[in-house]
Amino acid sequence: MQAFEYDSDWTELGVYPVKTENDIVRVRQMARQYAKNFRMGIVEQTRITTAVSELLRNMYQYANGGEVTINQGYVEEHNALIFTFEDQGPGIENLDLAMSDGYTSGGGMGYGLPGAKRLVDSFEIRTETNTGTLIRLMKWK
Amino acid sequence: MEDKLDLKNVKQRINHIEEVLSSVAAGDLDVRVDSTVEDDLTGIEEAINILIEDLTYELKQSINMQNDLQEKLKKIQDQQKTIVQQQEDLMELSSPVSKVWDNILILPVIGTLDSQRTQIMMENLLQKIVDTGCTMAILDITGVPTVDTQVANHLLKTVTSARLLGADCIISGISPAIAQTIVHLGIDLSIIRTKATLQDAMIYAMKQNKKSDALITSNLDEIEEREE
Repeated sequence: MQAFEYDSDWTELGVYPVKTENDIVRVRQMARQYAKNFRMGIVEQTRITTAVSELLRNMYQYANGGEVTINQGYVEEHNALIFTFEDQGPGIENLDLAMSDGYTSGGGMGYGLPGAKRLVDSFEIRTETNTGTLIRLMKWK
Repeated sequence: MEDKLDLKNVKQRINHIEEVLSSVAAGDLDVRVDSTVEDDLTGIEEAINILIEDLTYELKQSINMQNDLQEKLKKIQDQQKTIVQQQEDLMELSSPVSKVWDNILILPVIGTLDSQRTQIMMENLLQKIVDTGCTMAILDITGVPTVDTQVANHLLKTVTSARLLGADCIISGISPAIAQTIVHLGIDLSIIRTKATLQDAMIYAMKQNKKSDALITSNLDEIEEREE
């Protein structure tokens, strides 16, 4: 699976492993804190936190955990908060289906991935069956 | 004899010093160089003894320090265990369901709704509905910082199961930011009755109470009239 390109000018704010449900809460709180430090409004804070929460839950539920990297950088003429989710899970078999509203393979509501995409400014996903999934979210300031 | 080397014993004495030094090197710090005569070699013998003393002292210090560190480490590990335990306790904090008015239950939800907690919450609420016979339940989510699809799903399931027991649920305390986020996520919560604040929910529930009371009274009147 091809990794994402990183801009060397980006500042790494932290790398967090996600193994338990507690980690979901912790990383989500960190996301909110970074958004706050970034001077985002309460609506934007809630949006990014919720998007991060969706992806963390997917990671925990389907891929048995993974790792989140939080960066800050300048992308397409915006100051951006960047979240990269990486797991070594089973991957997503049918990405088009997974990205459509209302589809779920695990008894959820089926709005996690498409919902998260709608909540952020940039959403990239790479996945390979039996290798893992790589997702990158960006939120402009 | 003084300040002169007793050549007769010197080889023996040097051998002794060598023995002591090799014992020290092997880790035995209790040995000392015995000197019976006093001459030029005595200075060296004494210096060696002092060195061994110093070495013993330093070693003791470092052992003490190591013990200290180990004790501290153990303390920190214990504290960490407590923190993890407390975190688990917090997560498991069951939500209290209380009857606040005739026919009205309130369930304040605070913190994170994971699957385990929702299960406890749902069981508590359903049991209380059965026990009290209340037909209105208010779920106040003011204290829930993040509503993602999983939380929404849990709420929907709770409301649906309460409905199966004949109780209507009202969800209150959705902040403007969370409301916008729910819409963007694409979740449809329109089948749930929601109110902005707990107060609104309470007023609505009491009005419903009055309506149903009025309905019952008028029905009873009707029945009485017919019987007459």
